[in-house]
Amino acid sequence: MATEAYPAPAAATAKAARPPGVSPWRRAGRTVIHWSLPVYAGLALIYLIFPIAIIIWFSFNNTHSRFNFVWQGWTLKHWKDPFQVPGLLDALKVSIEVALLSTLIATALGTMMALALVRYEFRGRAPLNFFIFLPLATPEIVLGAALLSLFLSQSKVFQLGFGTILIAHVMFNISFVVVTVRSRLIGFDRHLEEAAQDLGANAWTTFWRVTLPLIAPGVVAAALLAFALSIDDFVITNLNSGSTVTYPLFIWGAARVSIPPEVNIVATMIFVVTVLIAILTVWQARRAEKLSEVRPEQEAIA
Amino acid sequence: MAYFQRHKGIFPLLLLLPGLLWLIVFFAVPLYYQAKISLNTGSPFEGFRFAWHWSTYTDAIRTYHTQFIRSFIYAGASTGLSLLIGYPLAYAIAFRGGRWRNALLLAVILPFFVTYLVRTLAWETILDDSSPLVSFLQTLGIVGKNGHVLATTSAVIAGITYNFLPFMILPLYAALERIDPRMLEAGADLYGNRRSVFTRVTLPLSMPGVVAGVLLTFIPAAGDFVNAALLGSPKQTMIGNVIQSRYLEVNDYPTAAALSFMLMAIILVMVAIWAKIAGTESLMGAETA
Amino acid sequence: MSERNIDKLIDELVAAEINRRQLLRRGAAGAMSVSAAAFLAACGGGGNALSGGTKTAAEKTIPKGEVGTQLNFSNWPLYIDVDHGKHPTLEKFTKETGVHVKYTEEINDNNEFFGKVRQQLASGSSGGRDIIVMTDWMAGKMIRLGYIQKLDKSALPNVNANLVDNLKHIDFDPNRDFTVPWQSGQTGLIVRKDKVGDVTSVNEVFNPKWKGKVTLLTEMRDSVGLTMLGMGKDPTTGSVDDMMAAVNKMNDNVKNGQIRRFTGNDYLKDLPKGDTWIAYGWSGDAVQLQADNKNIEFIHPDEGFMLWTDNMMVPVGAPHAYTAEVFMNWIYQPQVEAPIEDYVNYVPPVKGTKEALLKIDPEVAKNPLIFPDAATLAKGHAFKTLSPADEDKLNNAFQALIGA
Repeated sequence: MATEAYPAPAAATAKAARPPGVSPWRRAGRTVIHWSLPVYAGLALIYLIFPIAIIIWFSFNNTHSRFNFVWQGWTLKHWKDPFQVPGLLDALKVSIEVALLSTLIATALGTMMALALVRYEFRGRAPLNFFIFLPLATPEIVLGAALLSLFLSQSKVFQLGFGTILIAHVMFNISFVVVTVRSRLIGFDRHLEEAAQDLGANAWTTFWRVTLPLIAPGVVAAALLAFALSIDDFVITNLNSGSTVTYPLFIWGAARVSIPPEVNIVATMIFVVTVLIAILTVWQARRAEKLSEVRPEQEAIA
Repeated sequence: MAYFQRHKGIFPLLLLLPGLLWLIVFFAVPLYYQAKISLNTGSPFEGFRFAWHWSTYTDAIRTYHTQFIRSFIYAGASTGLSLLIGYPLAYAIAFRGGRWRNALLLAVILPFFVTYLVRTLAWETILDDSSPLVSFLQTLGIVGKNGHVLATTSAVIAGITYNFLPFMILPLYAALERIDPRMLEAGADLYGNRRSVFTRVTLPLSMPGVVAGVLLTFIPAAGDFVNAALLGSPKQTMIGNVIQSRYLEVNDYPTAAALSFMLMAIILVMVAIWAKIAGTESLMGAETA
Repeated sequence: MSERNIDKLIDELVAAEINRRQLLRRGAAGAMSVSAAAFLAACGGGGNALSGGTKTAAEKTIPKGEVGTQLNFSNWPLYIDVDHGKHPTLEKFTKETGVHVKYTEEINDNNEFFGKVRQQLASGSSGGRDIIVMTDWMAGKMIRLGYIQKLDKSALPNVNANLVDNLKHIDFDPNRDFTVPWQSGQTGLIVRKDKVGDVTSVNEVFNPKWKGKVTLLTEMRDSVGLTMLGMGKDPTTGSVDDMMAAVNKMNDNVKNGQIRRFTGNDYLKDLPKGDTWIAYGWSGDAVQLQADNKNIEFIHPDEGFMLWTDNMMVPVGAPHAYTAEVFMNWIYQPQVEAPIEDYVNYVPPVKGTKEALLKIDPEVAKNPLIFPDAATLAKGHAFKTLSPADEDKLNNAFQALIGA
């Protein structure tokens, strides 16, 4: 009688052996969902890096002729003398110089513009925004050809070469910088600046010690983007470079015949340098974490 | 707010002026002359002269509308794919990245430092007829037995997607990273369901990033020609190839300039429509700063 | 009105426009006012500065001068010998004459290069270039437009003596007053013997068995020429209609997927990889490809093949024109040409190169692709020089075909 009247307790005790509320199916499901994101992200990263791996791999190709398209076996011979292709090193140097300079100029000009656009009310702000956006919507071939016409018609002022490449790169980078910094500025909390002022800081100090550090991530992101765009630019540079050869131009020329393994080697070197920088940032972030354990208020600002 | 008001007069102008001048001299002025050239009449061998020759535009549309449509389809497909691939990655970096964040971001822009052309050429190696990938696709039946992936539409779209993926990921990351995790906690407390937290909190908050990413991907993709040239066949020609050819191979500057302006105009219209739909004014104008 | 005058007109129009707007814009930034001064100067001297490309330059020959210390040579990639990052031939020249040669491999395509430099050339400036190398038809076009300086034959004794007979006269430059050949080449079929077997006819590229494995060239005259030969027409004498017929035939084969794509040198990757089995291609490349893969062979089709030459020229406004002549003359010695040939593997225009090569690299010297015999050469065809109107028409049609 007792067992019939209370069938539930037997079931209850049977169930009580498991943790309450979560069946193993649901837990498995949650684990899948929890891990599916990193797995998906990991696959996406592999997708991004895979072609680079191929490029690095082919730098070890044992080529018999000038061509580096079919795998022919392992060798280190290209690594022994990586810069033996004439013009490669020079082209790389030119590209890096142009990229550094144009990044500097464009980031400075663009950040100033972004500040003005976001912070201040003035007439013509909307059309100005539109105008700054226009270069992004313009096909590169148009930008390049239009600039070329300008340079040629004023050939006394502009000699096609390093200078004109620099001008072109700054031009298209400004818009990118403005857009990037602006998106960071929009969510910016003015109250922090007000607080600084309340505490007695003048305009310059406020800007230098409060505003700038806070928008720094946006500015750095913009600078990185500008640098990458400048190093990589082909179409506009092709038209405005005169006989100066930048790295992408060199590749384009070489690609017509065959990309020498030395190009792969340069790509590998770039990869290694970037990996080193990445490791550096991770190390830095860990330091920041450790600091924040000591001084929690720093984390609130970052 | 005193310091802002005091400097209202010329300070913004001073900040704007250098960059603005640069853009005017090296962007607006050249474009103006290109506009004039687009209205020139004549031919490459007999010379050009300025006349209000609007028929260049109509002729150009008539001859090249296929390439225009094709370019927008390819750009749209690539942008969609980029979004699908890029959003989860950006999300993972922003919310699960932790101390690896910057390293992962560097990994994302790493392809940039290996020139555009070299990346695309690497895809030529990956997708060539005898590669393991294509053989695998052949066993799966996706690619015919004697078929090839290179010199087809899929190769071109794959190339464009890959090349502009970082443009999608970076703005997405920037927007996602700014979302305060406490918002998500609040959402979880109120709704208790992962999916609704995502669709009703994260997604809307990340919309500015989505808008920026879509634009930064779609626009250059629409004008691209390298992928179609290296990975495609003549049947995949995009409007970028046509413009390039008109400028450099045939020297037909009026048509080239006309096509360029039409491309710009169409892109701008699409952008305006998209901005309306996505509902963000932060695109161009009305900042709430 | 001629093309040159139009360009001149547009440039002056541009300068004048900006000038007026400068005056109207008060308080313009310093940058603008600097430019205004420059524009005014350019405008004032505009007439003279822009007339460099007129007939007067073409009629005068390059005056004798001093051999300078610098020479700027623009060429195609991989067109001169390379050894461990240096160019031995150029270094030899420097050693013998003291002239430093700045060698820039900036030419990748005739039209592309022309598009880049034409406005400069029209205004009389060469952009610092002393020697440029262009294929026959583009050389002819540039000469016709007055962009090339006339050579002083008395400064080129080696050229006069050693230029191979079949190149002494050519229709766009009958007396070789403006051009000095750099290398010649042949366009024919390059095939994967292991995939397509023995091929003898040009029309094999249209064989449906090789669908999707065929590439043709983006160089219009090569593709149209070879296809015409396959259709029984002669590119040297044929009519524009015949050429358009060839374009249409290629178009049909693009639509049905027979032709995979049109390439520049990229068939160099496609053939070894097996993406392409049969291609229109250039003889110099075939020699190189064979080193990698013995199955790759260059075929002179029964119907004939295309012959072309790349020519050195001195553009207007070249800063070291006389030095350029000295260089061109110096090249035309068999012992100088031989090492270049050893690397480049095209057809040398210098008499006696074969004998000189026998001493350095007999295998290359005996290669029929580099030294074709008379019988082979007889089947070669040059492409007719087109009138500007015809060239435009054909070019447009071809560009539409290859997808532009």
